[in-house]
Amino acid sequence: MVPDSGGYLRTSSSSGWKSLITFTVLLLAWISGFSSRLFAVIRFESIIHEFDPWFNYRSTAYMVKNGFYNFLNWFDERAWYPLGRIVGGTVYPGLMITSGSIHYILHSLNIPVHIRDICVFLAPVFSGLTAIATYLLTKELWSAGAGLFAACFIAIVPGYISRSVAGSYDNEGIAIFALQFTYYLWVKSVKTGSIFWACMASLSYFYMVSAWGGYVFIINLIPLHVFVLLIMGRYSDRLFTSYTTFYILGLLLSMQIPFVGFQPIRTSEHMAAAGVFALLMAMLVLKYLQSILSRAEFKYFFILAASIAAGVVFFTVVVLTYAGIIAPWSGRFYSLWDTGYAKIHIPIIASVSEHQPTTWFSFFFDLHILVTTFPVGLWYCIKNITDERVFVVLYALSAVYFAGVMVRLMLTLTPVVCMLSGIAFSRLLELFLKEEQNPSQSTFSDSDDEANGDKGSSRMYDKAGKLRKMKHEQQKEADGLGVNIRSIVIVAVLMMLMMFAVHCTWITSNAYSSPSIVLATYSQDGTRQILDDFREAYYWLSQNTASDARVMSWWDYGYQIAGMANRTTLVDNNTWNNSHIALVGKAMSSNETEAYKIMLSLDVDYVLVIFGGVIGYSGDDINKFLWMVRIAEGEHPKDIRETDYFTDRGEFRVDSEGTPTLLNCLMYKLSYYRFGDLRLDYRTPTGFDRTRNVIIGNKYFDLTYLEEAYTTEHWLVRIYRVKKPDDFNRPRIPVSERKIKRSKIFIPKKQTNKRKKGLIKNKPVVVKGKKPSRVS
Amino acid sequence: MEFLYSLPFRVLEVPNLKIKRPSWLHQPSSMVMFSLVLLSYFLVTGGIIYDVIVEPPSVGSTTDEHGHSRPVAFMPYRVNGQYIMEGLASSFLFTMGGLGFVVLDHTHSPSTPKLNRILLISVGFLCILVSFFTCWVFMRMKLPGYLQS
Repeated sequence: MVPDSGGYLRTSSSSGWKSLITFTVLLLAWISGFSSRLFAVIRFESIIHEFDPWFNYRSTAYMVKNGFYNFLNWFDERAWYPLGRIVGGTVYPGLMITSGSIHYILHSLNIPVHIRDICVFLAPVFSGLTAIATYLLTKELWSAGAGLFAACFIAIVPGYISRSVAGSYDNEGIAIFALQFTYYLWVKSVKTGSIFWACMASLSYFYMVSAWGGYVFIINLIPLHVFVLLIMGRYSDRLFTSYTTFYILGLLLSMQIPFVGFQPIRTSEHMAAAGVFALLMAMLVLKYLQSILSRAEFKYFFILAASIAAGVVFFTVVVLTYAGIIAPWSGRFYSLWDTGYAKIHIPIIASVSEHQPTTWFSFFFDLHILVTTFPVGLWYCIKNITDERVFVVLYALSAVYFAGVMVRLMLTLTPVVCMLSGIAFSRLLELFLKEEQNPSQSTFSDSDDEANGDKGSSRMYDKAGKLRKMKHEQQKEADGLGVNIRSIVIVAVLMMLMMFAVHCTWITSNAYSSPSIVLATYSQDGTRQILDDFREAYYWLSQNTASDARVMSWWDYGYQIAGMANRTTLVDNNTWNNSHIALVGKAMSSNETEAYKIMLSLDVDYVLVIFGGVIGYSGDDINKFLWMVRIAEGEHPKDIRETDYFTDRGEFRVDSEGTPTLLNCLMYKLSYYRFGDLRLDYRTPTGFDRTRNVIIGNKYFDLTYLEEAYTTEHWLVRIYRVKKPDDFNRPRIPVSERKIKRSKIFIPKKQTNKRKKGLIKNKPVVVKGKKPSRVS
Repeated sequence: MEFLYSLPFRVLEVPNLKIKRPSWLHQPSSMVMFSLVLLSYFLVTGGIIYDVIVEPPSVGSTTDEHGHSRPVAFMPYRVNGQYIMEGLASSFLFTMGGLGFVVLDHTHSPSTPKLNRILLISVGFLCILVSFFTCWVFMRMKLPGYLQS
């Protein structure tokens, strides 16, 4: 779309033109980023996507309705039955506050926008802000041209679009903006050494903390930056000022978020920041001692003091951790270092598909051409290293590693890839465009300020730089390349950028723009079929069940049930209680009798399963079933064993070769109940599962303890009612012996309606002294 | 002060040691750093972490209609899965593309003669184009229907 327009900045001769072009490019980036995120809204409707956004939407709506303080004190009794959930204290409220305040402002301006529309369009709007923040950061790191490139890249790159399409109302949508902006302010404050910028950085950090759990990335990366700068011998007073201000203010501010609370001083994730803070202090003390001690004394003292300081810090952390004052690394972070950890110990983390390790495909899919230019930008930064480029190098390295561990963290990699690729492209185009215009330029006037920027100096108007530049250019001119070669290169690069834009749009349209609660299929002639089964089922729940009915389902669907059907759920996507989830997993994976005991103890009224066998939907519960077994096995190793669900050859199959344990477990029965009678088309036999392409193994069975309550049009969602103990424990009485109580005078309603009011046929005439005769 | 320093040596005897700073320990040059970074980038984009955790086979195999098993280099339709070799092949292409851009940049050092420059430009450019289009072909293998419809 627009990424090609960034390199021409330097043709402007006045700063007015320059700012106009900057403004235009950023505006275009914003608009194109916004509009390419609207596929889902245009194709379907203005609707909240996926799972987590439903919770965010629900709590935002609650906040808008009941006010902020009620929201903070909100105890949600409809989730995690029978435990409930303290929502105010277990949520990052930044997202809700952001959209709530937008709602408030719009309404005070008398613009009546529904809160749902604000939630749907929040992420696309913030993508424009992200583009601007990226521009600012890249401008600080390299030059304005590179910044414009980076802004255009991030506006349309699929890695970021995947989390910020319209309707995906999630923390990441605003958090990436906060992340980039905090980094910008941090770089600015390191460059200037002013307290003002450091304060701004910590304020922005506060916003980030309130928005996303990924703030831990910031609070570890910035200390790492400081630490590496210290090791490289780049200590300066600017660094000291900015880091101490940032750390103290950021620490205090981050502790204001109820969910974060005392974590910043008590958990291992935050200890690196504290350690670097202590190290900076020790450094300053040494600097002071250096001024009063003699040289020889100091050399001796330095080694002693440094080793003592390091030892003291290390032992303090170890002792405090051992004593339990500092919590050790939480499993989610620990799995980033020990990559096999989650697979063995925390199946619930490993079960989420976005926590899987990344394949090469995701890198290319999400970044396309940028994946190759990323090392180039890194190379430029390493070659001309400065304080702030150390930062971006560290950012790049850590983000690449994390993105390799988890698909989900592609998101943090994407901004830095865009920035470095912006640098690479801007440098490349500069090199190949510059010579072309040099002969026509008679003088090297003040127009080449951007060209100075690429020399890697932050002193843009330095006179010496200009002189050196002139010499350099003249040399080039002497044996410059032909115009043809250069234009071929430029055209090819622009073509590649165009391919990038095409790729981004295609990916956005095809991969990232499905709301996942409304499915669309395309038939042979291109017509579209909408499968709206999820909403059908949730609507059925909300209309046909008691208001306090408890619905059991796998945790993926908890938020949606709460958000759309407004019914009580047992587990949901906030996976804070592993044993509760394991209990549900156990119920799903044991046989009906066992499951019924669990369901009775949990007071379950309805069970909801997702079944994709009819339409070939692969994200259904049978495919997720192994995770249920694993999670249940983690808590109840005596009752549930994963090996029982595999065949002798170690396969998981639902056809006739499947193990009897699998073919009789609750999940299997609920998914395939009555499916054996169903013939999908003439070529396949009955009971043919399209998702797994097999004929199911256990076709004809009955349910004892449950009864089918509702199945949606394409069988995608199946809801079962759990029978109460008095529903089926009564002895069966033959029909002939049944006694049915009737009221004595039985007048069918239909007949009475037809008659006119007040007129009674065969009205018994009362004759005194005689019994009236009955008609019936 | 002096007293404080000499305090430990009343108990301890100073050993006669000469610890030299090892000669290889110095701040690495930017080129060394970049090579390290590029190597790790190569490994990570190749999905080495995925290979370690999931342990896929290096090349998959399938059975054709005659019952012969034949190797399959790419795991088709699976976005979240890969074989080891395909990951390495494509990350090699990514790195090659990146190096192509670096080579293109090198053409502008003023000391290179003109012929070398043209050669460098063509080499760099070839790298970029080859990696770009091969990646495209890989995408098509992995995701039939890519950039269609």
